[in-house]
Amino acid sequence: MDFTFSPEHTALRRMVREFAENEVAPLAMQMDRQHRVPLEMIRRLGQTGLLGVCFPQEYGGMGAGETGYCILMEELGRVCTSTATIVGAHIGIGAMAIHLDGNDEQKRKYLTPLARGEKIAAFGLTESGAGSDAANIRTRAVREGDSWILDGGKVFITNGGHADIITVMAVTDPSLGARGGITAFIVETAWEGFSVAREEDKMGIRGSSTAELVFEELRVPHENVLGKVGEGFITFMKALDMGRLTLGAASLGGAQASLEWAVRWARTRRQFGVELAHKQSVQWMIANMATEIEALRSLVYRVAWMVDTGQPFGQLAAMCKMYGSEVASRAIDMALQIHGGLGLTRDFPIERGFRDARIAEIYEGTNEVQRIVIATNIFREHGVRIRP
Amino acid sequence: MRIIVVIGRVLDPAGIVVNRRAGRIFVNREEYILQPADRCALEAALRVKDAAGAEVIALPRSLLPDDDVLRQALARGADRAIHLVGQVGNLPYEDAAMTRVLAAAVQRLGGADLILTGATTLDTGQSQLGPRLAEALGWPQILGAWQVTIQRVSESAKWMMQAVVMAQRATLKDVILSDRRERRISWLHERETLRCAQGDIFGAVRRDGAGYVTVEADLPAVVTVAPGALKLRYPDGVRLINVYRAGDAVERWEVSDLVDEAALRPQLEKRGQEFPPERERGVRLSGTPEEMAQALAETLRQRMRR
Amino acid sequence: MDFALSDEQRMFQQMFADFATREIAPRAEEMDHAEELPPELLRKAAEQGFLGATLPEEVFGAALDYVSYVLLMEALARQSLSFAVALATHISLVAMSILEHGSQAQREEWLPPMADGEVIGAFALTEPDAGSDAAALQTRVRLDGQEAILNGVKTWVTNGESAGLFLVFAQGAEGMEAFLVPRDTPGLTVGYREPTLGLRSVSFNTLYLEGCRLPLAQRLGEPGSGWTIAQRAGDRMAIALAAAGLGLAAESLNVAAQFASERVQFGVPIAQKQAIQNYIAEAAIEVEALRALLYRTAWLAEQGGDYSFDASAVKVFAARVARNVTNRMVQVMGGYGYMEDYPMARKYRDARMLGIIGGPTELHRVRVARHIFAERDLAIVP
Repeated sequence: MDFTFSPEHTALRRMVREFAENEVAPLAMQMDRQHRVPLEMIRRLGQTGLLGVCFPQEYGGMGAGETGYCILMEELGRVCTSTATIVGAHIGIGAMAIHLDGNDEQKRKYLTPLARGEKIAAFGLTESGAGSDAANIRTRAVREGDSWILDGGKVFITNGGHADIITVMAVTDPSLGARGGITAFIVETAWEGFSVAREEDKMGIRGSSTAELVFEELRVPHENVLGKVGEGFITFMKALDMGRLTLGAASLGGAQASLEWAVRWARTRRQFGVELAHKQSVQWMIANMATEIEALRSLVYRVAWMVDTGQPFGQLAAMCKMYGSEVASRAIDMALQIHGGLGLTRDFPIERGFRDARIAEIYEGTNEVQRIVIATNIFREHGVRIRP
Repeated sequence: MRIIVVIGRVLDPAGIVVNRRAGRIFVNREEYILQPADRCALEAALRVKDAAGAEVIALPRSLLPDDDVLRQALARGADRAIHLVGQVGNLPYEDAAMTRVLAAAVQRLGGADLILTGATTLDTGQSQLGPRLAEALGWPQILGAWQVTIQRVSESAKWMMQAVVMAQRATLKDVILSDRRERRISWLHERETLRCAQGDIFGAVRRDGAGYVTVEADLPAVVTVAPGALKLRYPDGVRLINVYRAGDAVERWEVSDLVDEAALRPQLEKRGQEFPPERERGVRLSGTPEEMAQALAETLRQRMRR
Repeated sequence: MDFALSDEQRMFQQMFADFATREIAPRAEEMDHAEELPPELLRKAAEQGFLGATLPEEVFGAALDYVSYVLLMEALARQSLSFAVALATHISLVAMSILEHGSQAQREEWLPPMADGEVIGAFALTEPDAGSDAAALQTRVRLDGQEAILNGVKTWVTNGESAGLFLVFAQGAEGMEAFLVPRDTPGLTVGYREPTLGLRSVSFNTLYLEGCRLPLAQRLGEPGSGWTIAQRAGDRMAIALAAAGLGLAAESLNVAAQFASERVQFGVPIAQKQAIQNYIAEAAIEVEALRALLYRTAWLAEQGGDYSFDASAVKVFAARVARNVTNRMVQVMGGYGYMEDYPMARKYRDARMLGIIGGPTELHRVRVARHIFAERDLAIVP
């Protein structure tokens, strides 16, 4: 057992923190207020190489592994959930699908510019009738010579409004369903037939784009089929597993920020003649937050280590996402309580954190779906097959 | 062209608490960061490299237990970094000995065209390393530069360096500069360029306010860069990972191979520690805004009389 | 024991619900996004007599009993927590303080226009350095013959934007005093409005009092009775907020249950999933428990006497239930719960405010504990 970070990961964390505090944090409030995606800052983030943190160096990545990616997400989550969401959708699921199942040519053509941040990715899975029930998608792809014609639409797509490349899941054989009937495609948003129908007005993560996409006779060349025809569902589920882990890392960063704010305020604010830190109600909140955060940190980086050493991790990734989002929600809730009225005003980051934190319990598979994944895995070991 | 950048580390001020009553500095989190002025020196070196092409070599400003700052320099774009291993007393202030070590290292490297380092250290406020090094090498020195540029003098095909320095820093020549702050640096480039002989300290003064003056020197030269002058670039992610992953990314030189033992004898010892006198506590005004404004004005009036 | 509402109360309940669905519901979302309290909505509520809900008939109030008042708050909050809180501030914090502590002249001057909606009341207790610690007030009152001069800064003044009358608390020679300060009093400035997480239609302003001079007759109650006035007002407000919390939670449950029976995933309405059933059941249990505690507390308040223990208890519980229920109901609705185009996101933001405004949960817990230990002759120091 060795729980220390390697020198390169320690150095990476320092680098990311420097970037996060100097470049991201100053924009966070403005992004939220103006409902604006900071593309310029995301481009600069790409120039440092960080958007390719976990991809191999031969495809323009850093090769810092899943641990490095978790560090990136933790540090971004600490200063701005919107940015962590943009980066998570880009690396963790959008580009990840290409990294996992793309062929060499696809990686050269698409993963390389994504890893360098020259292009931005999104992940096209959810549809209005297929949220938690992802296999129930309706977007169709029909073979026509050397191409596939896509028709349909996606909703709640993070980065949807500004992505250059979208990995899209579509039905290629309705008779087969999730097993054999769904295929993943790499779609360039510049192609004819692609359009953004609308941007959602969300409670939080307002600095990120969540869009509804429409495909009308969108022609995709056959070489853009990701993985094998009919195995798209597997590709997407693998990408989601990776994404879940790193959402846990982003939640860890958010929770850490909540704790830091709470401690700072408890040291400053005086009521009844003493700092709040001397009140046991406040001490309990701080102690609970800190304990949960440490437990989450151990979980996140243990799972990252499992990914990096090639062990199966799907069930634990679901735990990371679920537990992480709940720890972050509880932490920001307590930080808000400690701040009292100040925590309720939009002039202060706590209020934004409160709205932002809530999404993590919902997106990329609601926590209920994560619980199903966990329980299914546990019962499988005991010979029971769970149907959702 | 070869540029040597001399950099050091400092305990992260965010991780320490100074407790005056206990007469101690409590270290809550022992983390080191690059010296702020050295960050600027590194950035200056990398900018010269970008503009004119150069090999940037990083050396430490004191003998450090690890080579982390040097790896940081490599990750940010330095070409080589040399960790100097050995012992010079127990204090980080041995600039005299360090000067001898660094001068010897420069010799061993086969000389250099430009040495850049921070103008001052954050923790100990030392500003001597640059001047001492220039003296030891017999090179011109420019202190507290805000910007460093290199030009090739066409007729002689020689390199010449320009540095922008704060006007008040040196007092050899009296030059009055304009007040037009908003255009300060570019305007000064056009107007007031002082050409100085080797070995001089260059500069200019002005009557009031801050101003900048551009000075030039032939290479080789030593330039110290002011803290806050330049924003250090972010590391390149791929370089960072490779530099920290490779055990041999930083070269190791034993100082005993560079200088003899006598040169390393410590000249300083620590005799104790004292805190500067406590600052007067502020007063919190109360009452109506008019009353408070009056009280404030009265206090200011008294202060001015005093 | 009789838990049934009277015929009259049931009739009121129907009337309140009609008003809320007809008048408030269509505007609730727009009101929240615009961060405004529409004056015509206040006027309509006044026409129904809601602005003088618990005031007696002689000052043109509706003379509602406490349980009916709680039913009113519940019904309004079902559609807009903002509207309920603005009204509760007007009635429970300001109008009822005047009724309970005011002189005959003060009652005659202020209560009819308040019941009428001509004058909206605002409550100015909190200060930058005195939030929960109301005894640390920095606002000072100085007496000058038959006049009082107020100086200080108040924050989080509820209804600051629309108010015609401010109930201002200040530290005087004999302890805390309460003053009725009309909006046009020279030296009174309504300042910065806090942009808030929820309750976005309620204005929370900073109030500057700079040599604000008023006749001593504007003082409410006896000299030094400000502390009592604030406490009593706080107790009344706690019940009103709890009622609002109940309405919010009950309606959230209603909206999410409807969604769960219509949303199909894995081939069935998600209501068929036990996870969803758990959320809905837990929410329903908490809502019913809160309803029982709340109605009982309202009945107790109607009996008179000191009900501060019960008021604090129900406030803490209601804030928790509102938070828990909206939190779960967002989860039931998934992505749709997070979008501002659906009402649940607003309800979730609104619910969080209840744990802090009207005294944070921690403070009310201390007050509950103080009662428990007082029975054992132990005084709790905050």
